[in-house]
Amino acid sequence: MNGIRAAIRHPFWQALAILVIAFVAIEFGIPVLPDSADVPASVVLQYMVTVLVGVLIYVSDNEQRWTQFREPIRAVLVEPRLTPVRWSLLAAVPALVGWVAYGQVATRVEAPPILRSIHPAPPAEITFRSRPMTLTGLENPLRAVRDSLPDFVGEGKRIYYQNCLPCHGDHLDGQGHFAPGFNPLPANFQDDGTIAQLTESFVFWRIAKGGPGLPREGAPWNSAMPAWEDFLTEREIWAVILFLYEQTGRRPRTWEKTGDGHD
Amino acid sequence: MWATNLRIVALVLGTLGLYTLIANEIPQVQSEVPQTLALGADVTPEQLVAAGERVFTGAGGCTACHGLGTRAPNLLTDEKGTGLIGERCGKREPGKSCKQYLYESLDNPNASVVPGYEPIMPAVTRQLPPAQVWAVIAFLESQGGSVDVTASDIPAQTPGLTPGASPGSAGGGALAGGSTDPMTLFRVGGCVGCHKLGAEGGAVGPDLSRIGARQTASQIRVSILDPDARITPGFENFKGIMPKTFGDQLTAAQLEALVRFLAARR
Amino acid sequence: MADGALLLQAVVDSLPAYREFPAIGSRAAVWIAAEVHLMFAAFVLGVPLFAVVAEAIGIFNKEDRYDRLAKEFTRLLLVAYSATAIWGVVLTFFLLTLYPRFFRYLSAIFGPSMWLYVGLFFLESFTLYLYYYGWERWKQGRAKWAHWSLGILLNVWGTIVMFIANSWLTYMMSPPRDVAPATDPTTIKVWHAIANATWMPINVHRLIANVVFGGAIVAAYASYRFLAARSDEERAHYDWMGYVGNFIAISALIVLPFAGYWLGREIYEYDESMGITMMGGFMSWLWVIQAFLIAVLFLAGNYYLWVGMERIPGAERFRPYTKWLLAILVVGAIVWGTPHTMIATSKEIAAMGGSHHPFLGVLGVMSAKNTAVNLMILTTFLSFLMYRRANKRPVVPWARTGTQIQAAMFIVAAAVVLFYGIRGYFVEAIVRIGYSVYQVLAVLACIVGVTVIDVMLGRGAVSRGDIQWGKMPPRSQYALFILAVTFTWLMGLMGFARSGIRQHWHVWQVMRDTSTSAATPALGYAAEMISVCVLIFLALVAFVFWLGGLAEKPTFVQTEATGGVHVGH
Repeated sequence: MNGIRAAIRHPFWQALAILVIAFVAIEFGIPVLPDSADVPASVVLQYMVTVLVGVLIYVSDNEQRWTQFREPIRAVLVEPRLTPVRWSLLAAVPALVGWVAYGQVATRVEAPPILRSIHPAPPAEITFRSRPMTLTGLENPLRAVRDSLPDFVGEGKRIYYQNCLPCHGDHLDGQGHFAPGFNPLPANFQDDGTIAQLTESFVFWRIAKGGPGLPREGAPWNSAMPAWEDFLTEREIWAVILFLYEQTGRRPRTWEKTGDGHD
Repeated sequence: MWATNLRIVALVLGTLGLYTLIANEIPQVQSEVPQTLALGADVTPEQLVAAGERVFTGAGGCTACHGLGTRAPNLLTDEKGTGLIGERCGKREPGKSCKQYLYESLDNPNASVVPGYEPIMPAVTRQLPPAQVWAVIAFLESQGGSVDVTASDIPAQTPGLTPGASPGSAGGGALAGGSTDPMTLFRVGGCVGCHKLGAEGGAVGPDLSRIGARQTASQIRVSILDPDARITPGFENFKGIMPKTFGDQLTAAQLEALVRFLAARR
Repeated sequence: MADGALLLQAVVDSLPAYREFPAIGSRAAVWIAAEVHLMFAAFVLGVPLFAVVAEAIGIFNKEDRYDRLAKEFTRLLLVAYSATAIWGVVLTFFLLTLYPRFFRYLSAIFGPSMWLYVGLFFLESFTLYLYYYGWERWKQGRAKWAHWSLGILLNVWGTIVMFIANSWLTYMMSPPRDVAPATDPTTIKVWHAIANATWMPINVHRLIANVVFGGAIVAAYASYRFLAARSDEERAHYDWMGYVGNFIAISALIVLPFAGYWLGREIYEYDESMGITMMGGFMSWLWVIQAFLIAVLFLAGNYYLWVGMERIPGAERFRPYTKWLLAILVVGAIVWGTPHTMIATSKEIAAMGGSHHPFLGVLGVMSAKNTAVNLMILTTFLSFLMYRRANKRPVVPWARTGTQIQAAMFIVAAAVVLFYGIRGYFVEAIVRIGYSVYQVLAVLACIVGVTVIDVMLGRGAVSRGDIQWGKMPPRSQYALFILAVTFTWLMGLMGFARSGIRQHWHVWQVMRDTSTSAATPALGYAAEMISVCVLIFLALVAFVFWLGGLAEKPTFVQTEATGGVHVGH
């Protein structure tokens, strides 16, 4: 009993306990929260490194704690009674390193982790059906005709269900029937991170130019999104954008007001 | 003293190494200079040629036939002593300049097939946007000839080139004059260029001699209309080569005749 | 006559636009020259700022050690100054020979400002010589004030010189909107080109960053001398110097994000697509690395303070709280480092339903990050406060109330930060951007208010015992080194970000980079370049410091008298 109490107060075991608790919380705790999912390995690593640095600071920012912390380490290295522990560590550490190295180089069927820019920088100007079109500052022209908005939304809805539904789904959540076959997955318009963060001109650009029009940072896997400028007219694209915002209840990002500069 | 110095050097190198390592651990994205084909009025022949070369060897898929084997003339080498394509293009058809000839070859390839070859080439103008087509022409001209493609060619020649234009416009009417004889369609439609059927045909695409044993009629129909929907294992590298234009070129009767014929090949 | 001009023009036009530098290529050559020059320049601009402040403290408080400190810095400055000039010349010649057409374009616009630059540089050098060599001569009475004004003058020249150089590079980023690719550079008015959209933000940002950088390098210098010291006096002096350097670096660092924020905002306003390239495009991962580096700075800075509390009598009463501060910092670092778009395998992406984690994605957006960093700033400030308070017992009658007010200020500031952080999720982006201003203002107000109260509280305070300068474990000094290396690296990284967002343009949307290395490299390559630059810089700085030590008159007179050895290291 006393041994346990002493261990709880001992910085070395405290440090170890913090690391274990943090790992369990990140790896198993976060996924069981409502509306959550497994944390990608890269993020787990990042969090654990941060925690490790914090723990090291904790044990070493006080002379007494630092000495205490090093005691067990020193004991394992020199004390005769801990010879078995020492030898098993001597074997375990290289084995661990080897295992990690193997994991890094082993051939896997899975594609390597990818980093895609979900929202690459849009060009200032695009060519829509061989007509130049300036994106910067562009607003949805259909919004100007306030009286017919419901009509436009209805038109957008029809276009959405005729063209977009198979991939982007009935709920506009990117869970259409075809979606599981795609990498990258179709955009989820209900998410905070998609159309809610973008100006309508950006959405227009993505619809008009599709996967083929993505700049390089949108790689490495090519989006299956077609370039809809070949199939839809400008007005139809604007209508469907209107529908996307209307249906999800999101509002497009507005342009910064320019000209109210400081100097 | 030296111990301190060494420790500091190690610390500095370690910190720098760590930062460099982290920055290298994340997937690397380089921001390339955009190679836009928005070829403006000030486009130089060099730019056109460079763009055309990329299309020719890349997205255009031209090298699948014009480069290997005997399915099509090799455009980048001296073909049977007639010189490179840039040299021979002007002499191929009387009254047609090099530029006109090359455009015709891309727009309506079967209008004048080089003797000794099958009429298997799809209409490129239906697959590539006009700017890329003209860039390819410029590139081909540069192979032994002089480039006379200019920016003025590009917008001037655009009508009817948007994908999904009226069906059958490429060859002028339905394929093979509307014939529903499957073997005629197989030859005239260009299938034979890539697919083997019995003793005939090439080996770019899967052998169709016993296709009925592997696929149902509806799968075959899908593969004709949307070739990349399902790639036969082993042919992944040839994905995208088969034209996606048969839905426009074939009439419904022709398509069904072809499908029935292939499905029966067991 | 006209023919002659045309002929000349033809000759000029036939000049090659680019030349290749052997082995490493032109881009790498200019990169290294510019970066090392910039690091030295930051050092020689930052150190005088703080030498002058130290001298003033020495004059007002009649504390000789501050005066000695200021002089010691200035001595380091002399050699660093020529290194700056050398690297500046290297950069100029590299630009002239490797990017002749581009340099001709710039000089066509900025010619007059370049002449002015050279003239001011001349003035600056001679002011520096006067400042340093006149130190002992003008030490007493009114002459001391004259000497101090020389220091001010030195900073004035330096600042103007920096502003001029800044105008060239900000022009490259944000040329005035009426400048088109076809605009003849000789017709652009100099002032019009100088006063471009990002000029002032960069000026302010760099001014503050120079102070941070100067402080960090001085702290590293002091920590080296501390580790190499052989007597207790020396150790005490350099321990103190390291503390001062670190104090200045961290306090300036706290305001730096606000200047950076202004710059970012100007960039967005100037060109939205440039802004998106910076924050969301191929550079977005750079900010995760930056978050990591700044987390290192916060943690190392606080660590130094906490370890330093060991040598302050009375600090024991604060020790139990530091672990909670640490916890806030670690959680803050985790939130700040959470990427919005995560690196994940396809299986993980399928599980998450996209590249955004459904739960952690919430932490990946601006609101969460601003909240985290503001709380980290508050925490660091609290650490400082504890450190300051540790050995003092206030005697003013309202001491208790004062402390309570301070605590209330902290709570209010933290509450404001949290409130707007959470509310940011429920409003439009454009409103959300405005919220970060309120968060920043709350933190700044708290810092200012608490400091004012603290200074008044400290009047006549009773000491609980003197700080035992010099009784510092060596690991604290290594933390200072990590700080200096990290600052330097971070500077290189931010330089890459600022310059890289121009992508394949010499002058954004005006003059295209058509050289073979026009593509903007990936972060890994940039990191290697930055590391090389930092190594070159640190190696040269070590050499400069060693030189300074060679010529050094013994600072520790008593040590010399008692036969203590303090020569080289």
